[in-house]
Amino acid sequence: MKKMKSYIKPSSFLIFIALAIFVALVPAVNQGYSMMILNLGLIYSIATYGLSVMLGLGGQLSFAAVSFMGLGAYFTANLCSGRLGFWVDTSLTLVLVLIISTVVAFLIGMILFRLSGTYFTFGTIGLVQVTWSFYLSYKPLFGGPDGISNVATLRIFGWSPVDYNQWFYVLVVIVLIVAILVERIRRSQLGRSLSAIRDNEIAAQTLGINVYMTKVIAFTIAGVLAALAGSLYAMHSQFVSSDMFTFERATSYIIMAMLGGVNNTFGVFVGSVLVTMLPEWLRGMQRYLQLIYGVGVILLMVFMPMGLAGLAGNFGKSIKRKLRSAAVKNAPAEKEDAK
Amino acid sequence: MNINTIVSLAVNGISMGMIYALMAMGLILLIRAIGVMNFAQGDLLMFGAFITCWLTVDLKLPLWAMIPLSIVCFVVVGIIFMFTAYWPLRNASYPAATVISTMGAAMALKEIATLIWGSLPRSMPPLMKNPATGKVAVLKIGSITIQWQFILTIIVGSVFIYLVFVLFDKLYAGRMMQAAAQDKYAAELLGIPTILTTMATYVIVVALASTGGYMIAPIFMVSNTLGTLQLRAFAGVVIGGFGNIKGAILGSLLIGVVEAFSTIQFSQYKDAVVFLVLIVFLLVRPQGLFGEKIADKA
Repeated sequence: MKKMKSYIKPSSFLIFIALAIFVALVPAVNQGYSMMILNLGLIYSIATYGLSVMLGLGGQLSFAAVSFMGLGAYFTANLCSGRLGFWVDTSLTLVLVLIISTVVAFLIGMILFRLSGTYFTFGTIGLVQVTWSFYLSYKPLFGGPDGISNVATLRIFGWSPVDYNQWFYVLVVIVLIVAILVERIRRSQLGRSLSAIRDNEIAAQTLGINVYMTKVIAFTIAGVLAALAGSLYAMHSQFVSSDMFTFERATSYIIMAMLGGVNNTFGVFVGSVLVTMLPEWLRGMQRYLQLIYGVGVILLMVFMPMGLAGLAGNFGKSIKRKLRSAAVKNAPAEKEDAK
Repeated sequence: MNINTIVSLAVNGISMGMIYALMAMGLILLIRAIGVMNFAQGDLLMFGAFITCWLTVDLKLPLWAMIPLSIVCFVVVGIIFMFTAYWPLRNASYPAATVISTMGAAMALKEIATLIWGSLPRSMPPLMKNPATGKVAVLKIGSITIQWQFILTIIVGSVFIYLVFVLFDKLYAGRMMQAAAQDKYAAELLGIPTILTTMATYVIVVALASTGGYMIAPIFMVSNTLGTLQLRAFAGVVIGGFGNIKGAILGSLLIGVVEAFSTIQFSQYKDAVVFLVLIVFLLVRPQGLFGEKIADKA
């Protein structure tokens, strides 16, 4: 490990500039419908951050994100639409969602992590199918095939976003908080333990890491983030239905994470927004969209398995190398060729 | 519930289980040969259903011409699938990459099918017709009626399972494929063309899944949503024990039967029942029916 020289690296500085431009420019350019799609991209990115913790740090392929999104979304929809005969304040609901999903995700994680590796992945597939068929069919709680409509919009201290542009700012703030949180986790003891488990479970055990508990905690974090995303989705769209929580959706979250770079906090954000916005940009080619998407995923895995972030990292490294070799005038030419 | 419904549900369940078993066998062959979980398995089945439907309904080919032609199609699909979704990634540094590329391939397959054959579900005439009335042929034993289609599915499924066992247990080619699967490097030293064995594996996998599609086409409509059936095959594989063909077949049959019988009580929640069985199995006996000793590859 290289010793960090200063706290603000040029790359993170660049990212902040890019983010500032993004936030300033996007609401001016987009309006209405395309703004809504972008907001959805931001919401998905919250769930994808959970996946980044699970898959990127822990190396555990989990499809369970949609189950917890559904938990958050339907919980919110039931409390905030008045269909049970009472209303709960939306910001209080958000807090409740966080608490409930922590408990549920922890318990389910404890059950599912009795399995390991591919078995765990299959367990999550089973979970997704079970929850989906309940979301689709159980009328009293999940509204059946019609879903639940008329969900109240978010209200924080008496203020609520009136249109998609105001929602955008709210979501940007939440995504930023989540991103910083994930970045902290990456550098914390938990993150390093997870990486150790990903790289070699037995070695991690010999280092005194409680493999089981660490995985369960990561699963809980992923579940809570997904539930938060689901809750925000319900308030943003004011409508919840089961087709948001299918297995196909779950694969698309994984693709979002892989596109941006599963181990890069900024990359996850870029990936989610790109995957969500792509259908809008390619509207003219609607017929071939899924085909392009599928082939694109294969090409992505062939040429840049670490996603856009990996590509950017390689690019940055090669520039740095060029700069260095230009600075060191008397560097022998063969050395550069060897690289 | 009388004996009548029990028998017909059991036959129905076993025949669906056979189709899951065809997919599950393909999954295991791929896991053993190249260590890749194939998330496109269901869409290969869908593609096979479309190909056979196209040959019989659109081109109106008789059975003797349709079977060899569809086999040629399966071989071509298998080889193309291998050289796009696996071959460029065989040396990938990130193990999840190959798995995710099969997810991309699944999407692409679905869309190619829609582009070629349209997005409307198509119906396929039953394979076994009553010659007098032209309707679906049924077998009547006393008060029990069973569609011949289900029986035919069970027969075809059993034949294919038998053929795969013959290939791997008796034939030299099968031994070569097994050797290449166990240790690619050593197999190459022995002069086994591993590229050919991998290709053969892919062709067999596609042929198995597509035959499942052909058998299932008259029961369901042929549409690009058939791919979701693959999740049942996954469940069958896990229940049977990873990497074990016998276990996967039994597991798939079990899933089929559970699914059929769960329609009596909770037809809306039949997915939930099937996957609850899977989760219970995972918790109680994670190594599957036939416990597998080799380490987790995929």
